[in-house]
Amino acid sequence: MSHLILEVRPPESQHYASWGERLETVARFNQPDEIHALCEKAYALGARAILAVFNDAIREALVAFQRWRDIPVWAVVPNMFAFIRDLTDLGLVGATRARFMRLTPPAMVRTGLRTMSALGGIRRRDLAVGTMLVSDMELAALRELRVTRLFLHPQVTEIALAGGATTVFTALAATTQRLGIEAGLVTHNPLRAAAVLGPELRRFAPIIAPCNSKGYKMFPNREECERLFRSDPACFIAAEVTAGGTLAPEAALAHARALGLSGAVLDFRMVEAGFRAGMAYADWSSNHGSKR
Amino acid sequence: MTHSHPLRAAVVGAGRMGMIHGHLLSVYPGTEVIGFVDRDTGLRDHLASQGLSAPLYPNVEALFAAATPEAVFICTPTHTHLTVVRECLGRRVHLFIEKPLATTLTDAEAILHLATEARVVHAAGYVYAHLPIVQAAHDLLARGVLGETLHFAAHAYVSEVFGPKRGWFFQRELSGGGVVANMASHLLFILGWFFGPIRRVVATTRSLGTAMDDSAQALLTFSSGVTGLLDTSWSMPGAQMLDYGLTIRGRRGTLVLGRDRILLHLLAPADGHDAGWSEIHASDLPADTAFDVSPHIGGEAFYRQLDSFVQACQSGALPFCSLVQACNTQRMIDAIYASSASGAPVEVS
Repeated sequence: MSHLILEVRPPESQHYASWGERLETVARFNQPDEIHALCEKAYALGARAILAVFNDAIREALVAFQRWRDIPVWAVVPNMFAFIRDLTDLGLVGATRARFMRLTPPAMVRTGLRTMSALGGIRRRDLAVGTMLVSDMELAALRELRVTRLFLHPQVTEIALAGGATTVFTALAATTQRLGIEAGLVTHNPLRAAAVLGPELRRFAPIIAPCNSKGYKMFPNREECERLFRSDPACFIAAEVTAGGTLAPEAALAHARALGLSGAVLDFRMVEAGFRAGMAYADWSSNHGSKR
Repeated sequence: MTHSHPLRAAVVGAGRMGMIHGHLLSVYPGTEVIGFVDRDTGLRDHLASQGLSAPLYPNVEALFAAATPEAVFICTPTHTHLTVVRECLGRRVHLFIEKPLATTLTDAEAILHLATEARVVHAAGYVYAHLPIVQAAHDLLARGVLGETLHFAAHAYVSEVFGPKRGWFFQRELSGGGVVANMASHLLFILGWFFGPIRRVVATTRSLGTAMDDSAQALLTFSSGVTGLLDTSWSMPGAQMLDYGLTIRGRRGTLVLGRDRILLHLLAPADGHDAGWSEIHASDLPADTAFDVSPHIGGEAFYRQLDSFVQACQSGALPFCSLVQACNTQRMIDAIYASSASGAPVEVS
């Protein structure tokens, strides 16, 4: 199986080369139509899944996109930046309440029941319980979407990996099992993930981690990451393939392909560049069997 | 103090920053977390659920009664820093203090004085200065690539305050101020590191959503003669994380520092760089980080910050991010607020 995956996340949460580029991009990708158009361009280039951190515009765009295209969404939850912002504005109870109030009545009942059974963990401020409670509410708000995989936001994943808090990942696996979908990991620290999760790591495949010929964002270093990738390439999907936009997209994808990884993540810059140039990245799968 | 064993460290204040430092100290090969201190002992289960299993003590006294840390990471609300430093320096422990150093310049200087008297290694948590690309910019300036540095323009924006906010962070007497003290201070630290001691400040601040400074413009003059303008706001839409930029002009060229790259324009070749435009991207710089605790905020800078502190503890030499440099930052913060309040320039002695 091989994948090209379009990554969409709130444009405010990304880094830009200049303030001008930030304002232009943020204004543009706060419009659902622009996000929808980006999805179509990515589809034309060969993307067959969308990895998304959600805000209202992204949710609306993906609902519209999935009406036309049978493309699965891989959800990254919770949106930690939005949650932290709500924490300072509304407090913990207020931030949780705000998410609860967005749910439909049946989802409110389901969430309420799950909350009752998790009261002990909530009282203890347990990371796994809190993360999955907020994630559940975000997921319930995505009911119109076809979500096939669930990932925890990297801000949670890296903290859990640092502490070796396997309960967080067990809770993720339990949630995905209950929902009948698959679990995955997005991390900048795949070696740490392998050390913490051991043989269980495969349960969270695909693991999305930086992979590029410059070693950019590959922690602790390119050599050790690539050794891990080679040990089970089908478990990994390459992110940061252009090393912050410094490598040409086709060569960047070729590098990940040569390592045998099961897919690669495209960001909006790669999609726009490829589309402008009339390229197709779809050849990714030509040596890898069928697309999903 | 030299360390053939892992540096035994304690974290005082188990809020968001305390937990990040606790995690870093756990994964860093040369350190060991031997305790947390927080008056909210109900955090014990919360810490344990993250894999932070070191004991939690209700106060510094209890920590030192039970353990012998060689370093403490002070991550409590800013207004408590001086008190906590006094409590900690009853023993000889190295100090890492989260930014800003204090709510007032007087307290900041008292902290520096105490740490200097105690002859311990000290550092402040201005994490962005540890980004490889920022260090590369510092090295270019230090090597004189731009020739004499003349002036700069800088911005630091984030989307944080668009109405009333809760918590100690948004109360001036507890946090030391608004956007200048708590966000722009990252950039002020970098400016001080690049250009030296501050000499003169003319500034205005405005309140938009809080009773503090939500935006500010400051004209800064450094003892080195470098002058420049800082524009900052935490009420700017479009940036969930701090967006900063710095353009530096010298007699021989211009350097534009962003989050991931440096654009360099030179009038003539210098130090191996061609005349005209060139780019140095973060991906071109040597990788020296083993763990990324926060991919979107700070990234590898957190790990590098810890590495620089641990190396300083081992060598006994102060790191570049010592409290001496943090006091220079505090002087800038203090002068910006003083100038804004008086409507007049402030000379910094």
